[in-house]
Amino acid sequence: MTEYFSEVFGSFFAILKGLRVTFVTMFKPAVTVEYPTEKLVPYSGFRGALLFDAETCISCNQCVKACPSSCIALENATNEAGKKVAKVAWYSIDFGKCNFCRLCEEACPTKPKAVWHSKDYELTFFRRDEMVRCWKKGFDFVGLYWDRGAQEFKKPEGQVQIQTVQERFQY
Amino acid sequence: MSEDAKDPKPEAPKPVPETTTAAAAPAAAAKPAAPAKPAPKPLPTPVYNEADGRLLKERRLWPTDMWRDPWSQPRYRMAWVKLIVLVAVALGAALLLGEVGRFAVPVTSFLLEKGAAYGLPAWAPGLVWALVKIVLVLHVPLLSALVFVWWERKISAHMQSRLGPMYVGGFHGWLQTVADGIKLLLKENITPTAADTWVHRLAPAVVVAPALLAFAPVSFGKDLSAADLDVGLVYVFAMAGVSVVGIMMAGWGSGNKYSLLGGLRSAAQLVSYELPRMFAVIPVIMFAESLNLADIGAAQGGYWFGVLPRWFIFYPVVGQLSFLIFLIASVAETNRIPFDLPEAESELVAGFHTEYSGMKFSLFFLAEYAYMTLACCLAAAFFLGGGTAPLSFLDGFLPSWAWFLGKVLALVFCFLWFRWTFPRFRVDRLMDFNWKFLLPWSFANIALAGLYVMVLS
Repeated sequence: MTEYFSEVFGSFFAILKGLRVTFVTMFKPAVTVEYPTEKLVPYSGFRGALLFDAETCISCNQCVKACPSSCIALENATNEAGKKVAKVAWYSIDFGKCNFCRLCEEACPTKPKAVWHSKDYELTFFRRDEMVRCWKKGFDFVGLYWDRGAQEFKKPEGQVQIQTVQERFQY
Repeated sequence: MSEDAKDPKPEAPKPVPETTTAAAAPAAAAKPAAPAKPAPKPLPTPVYNEADGRLLKERRLWPTDMWRDPWSQPRYRMAWVKLIVLVAVALGAALLLGEVGRFAVPVTSFLLEKGAAYGLPAWAPGLVWALVKIVLVLHVPLLSALVFVWWERKISAHMQSRLGPMYVGGFHGWLQTVADGIKLLLKENITPTAADTWVHRLAPAVVVAPALLAFAPVSFGKDLSAADLDVGLVYVFAMAGVSVVGIMMAGWGSGNKYSLLGGLRSAAQLVSYELPRMFAVIPVIMFAESLNLADIGAAQGGYWFGVLPRWFIFYPVVGQLSFLIFLIASVAETNRIPFDLPEAESELVAGFHTEYSGMKFSLFFLAEYAYMTLACCLAAAFFLGGGTAPLSFLDGFLPSWAWFLGKVLALVFCFLWFRWTFPRFRVDRLMDFNWKFLLPWSFANIALAGLYVMVLS
């Protein structure tokens, strides 16, 4: 008899305990990030889309050699005499091949790095042309892509979402 | 080297400096005073958009860091302000509207007057008035399903520390159910080849029609019932019992073994839980000495010692016991968790409505929510005093329909709360619980109620 009632009341209060947990949780702030309108910035050291600075680059080809998926290509600039200088004429990264491994950034000998990972995790492409990002002297860090149909460089609009922090990782 | 390389590099914009060092100093100073409980690590400073207060940047270690100091977050404070404003607006609307039942007399007299003026036959005003009442009472289950689906999604989301629908309609996704309804309307209506076509088609109607009919005698407040039936209580339970047929039809007509299993489980469960549900109400009938829902509500008017309401739930032991049995059996009757075996989505695909799509599925959905609303209306009328105020000094502060609505909402919240707290029963335990626990105790309860009535009279 007492066993029966202790079981009944015991399970009743156990149920109330469970109800208390959900009730308390209900008044805690939600952890949801409403993605398109609010965005988390990744931790420093996150390997997002690559950025490139044509001013810093000495065209040493280390990143091209380091890249395991051979997505980087560059060409030396030449001066008026036709002699190679330590500058790039153009530099390109194929994000269709890139595996975001940071080997190019680690191989880069300049200080600060000429090629480095941003925190942009929102790369989206609609055409293959958009995947190949090109840089020349005077271009932004984000670069442009070559539109083969229109035969011109275009801005990668709608591809770079995190505009706030583009810090260059210092070693 | 060319001179270009020596040019000053364009500096990347610096991240916002964190103020952890400044906040950590007083925490370290306070440490020797209370060595047992170290001060919690201060949260990183979040960055909010000045225009709309949205969180732009917050370097969180873990999502639950949001819980450490909720009141420091503007959005959390705003949410409370919004909630309080919402409740205040609802109270204000109730105060402004007053008793809705008082409109009945002018409207009927207006109809009679117009009927006489245009030389209509004598039954015409009565017919129009009946149609008006039908339309009004039909909107109770339909609109409540709309609201409660949205509410359930919000409540379930917050119980899992999510946000739920946030976009449709602007304010916390309040139009989400409407959008879902439109989506369901536009969906293809599939009938499986193995289905028994007419049974399959008729089943949703057989489930929904009694659910809507059962609302007729429910008294939503003072003078607010579509049909003032003397056998209202029996009528409601009789109508609610018809839906079992529809569920069986849906299970059989789909031509699918899972649907059939779900339908049979559902039928077994509904028939079993009908018994304790009915027996739990018998003490109420004995106390109120009436089967009319409005009379049962009115019998609970008045206050003990001038403060405590004479609701049946406050009758010692009998009231609480029958309320709990009624509540548990109602949850089982409406096929909700923890008794959702008929449509256990992880076991039986979706039970009896596996093969239903589009509008037919939404009819089942509507019936489920209509029955939930009905169960809450009945529980509020039987045990929580219908439209009476909970405390004597609040009597007459709000109109009776507002008190009734508040009680119904509280009970619906309990239903949602149970849903997101309890795990599902096993089939044999479900039956054991009903036949070996609820039913004997409801019998004992009736005996005890008889003793009360004998002593009191």
